[in-house]
Amino acid sequence: MKFQDYYETLGVARTATEAEIKSAYRKLARKYHPDVNKEKDAEERFKEVGEAYAVLKDTEKRAAYDQMGSNWKSGQDFTPPPNWNEGFEFSDGGFGGSYEGDQSEFFESLFGRGKHRQGGRGGHRHPDQGMHFKGQDHHAKILIDLADAYNGAKRTITLHMPTLDASGHVSTQERKLDVSIPKGIKAGQNLRLGGQGGPGIGDGGAGDLYLEINFHPNPIYRVDGKDVYLDLPLAPWEAALGTTVKVPTPSGSSLELTIPANTTAGRKMRLKGKGIPSKEPGDLYVVTIILTPSANTEAQKEAYQAFEKAFEFNPRTHLKG
Amino acid sequence: MTQANITWIEGVIVETEIHMSIVELSQAASASEDLIMDWVSEGVLSPSGSSPQDWRFGGDSLSRTKTALRLSRDLEINTPGLALALQLLDQISNLKAQLIRIGNNSTEKS
Repeated sequence: MKFQDYYETLGVARTATEAEIKSAYRKLARKYHPDVNKEKDAEERFKEVGEAYAVLKDTEKRAAYDQMGSNWKSGQDFTPPPNWNEGFEFSDGGFGGSYEGDQSEFFESLFGRGKHRQGGRGGHRHPDQGMHFKGQDHHAKILIDLADAYNGAKRTITLHMPTLDASGHVSTQERKLDVSIPKGIKAGQNLRLGGQGGPGIGDGGAGDLYLEINFHPNPIYRVDGKDVYLDLPLAPWEAALGTTVKVPTPSGSSLELTIPANTTAGRKMRLKGKGIPSKEPGDLYVVTIILTPSANTEAQKEAYQAFEKAFEFNPRTHLKG
Repeated sequence: MTQANITWIEGVIVETEIHMSIVELSQAASASEDLIMDWVSEGVLSPSGSSPQDWRFGGDSLSRTKTALRLSRDLEINTPGLALALQLLDQISNLKAQLIRIGNNSTEKS
């Protein structure tokens, strides 16, 4: 287990006041909140910052943390010294932080596991006689291929569920689900799987599972809602003389596309209805780019020179003013 | 692989096929009905229907409610601030969509 320097995480001095710690935390929390910051490591950073704040904002926890000494460095191998917290009384064993996050092993070894967050309608629910509640709804995120949205797909997904055992420890349980991905689903949409959430109480029935769908990054296609964009490179002579090219589509099939003569770079050709399918299907946009080959051999240089002679072409007329 | 025996679970696409009541949305997003009513009055959520009993939440209401809940809880934002934050996030995602359409490579980073 690695030592975590909570002061370093928040970027404050060990002597920082409560107010300084709070303002440092607030600033970082806004910066790294996963709903605001879509960078890959934002969620991880947000959790670290929340954990650091949970300790440093709490006078008791901060004092206990401080008395381990300031010689520890972040990332150093760490085992809590025996009786390290002797004489400290924690009025709250829970994790004060936020974002559905779980604490690091380091935090747990010092302060124990936080209370399991209870969502849903009623906070704590006791299975009293005659009480019926629908089980909690669960949420998970999964990544699918763009082709799955075009064709529909059957996928076996693995979900990791934190569960609370009888002694209050949290362990992760794996659950496999065979899910049919409907044709036409778009990034950011949710798939509701009825009855696949938490168990109900009494005759309440199980909750639902919501799968938030996103696409694996795709090297060829860009997706905007139901519309899909594809960059199509052309050679200068293809663009000038016109041609027919084979264009792949995300469904796996390909199309013959006629490029008219004198096509310019950046021209957007709309293939109506070839976007993500649905009642009102999206469009597939083919955006032309023109790639010019470099002239390396004598013959290639001559070809460019012949080009120059044949055209009276000045691409910079607009710069003359 | 004994693929033949698998029962594939069919899901329903929330955004296009479901219009939730306030009770369903509250359960699905783990947000109290009071909060949801607050957010509707501030324009964060726009259900169809005229009274809370008739409200039906469609489109991106669920993900919007989840985002609203996380932001207000994690950053302790009040409702007007939350409405502003969501409006700015909408603007950012519209700008990002524009970058995607233009084909600016910098979108890959974000």
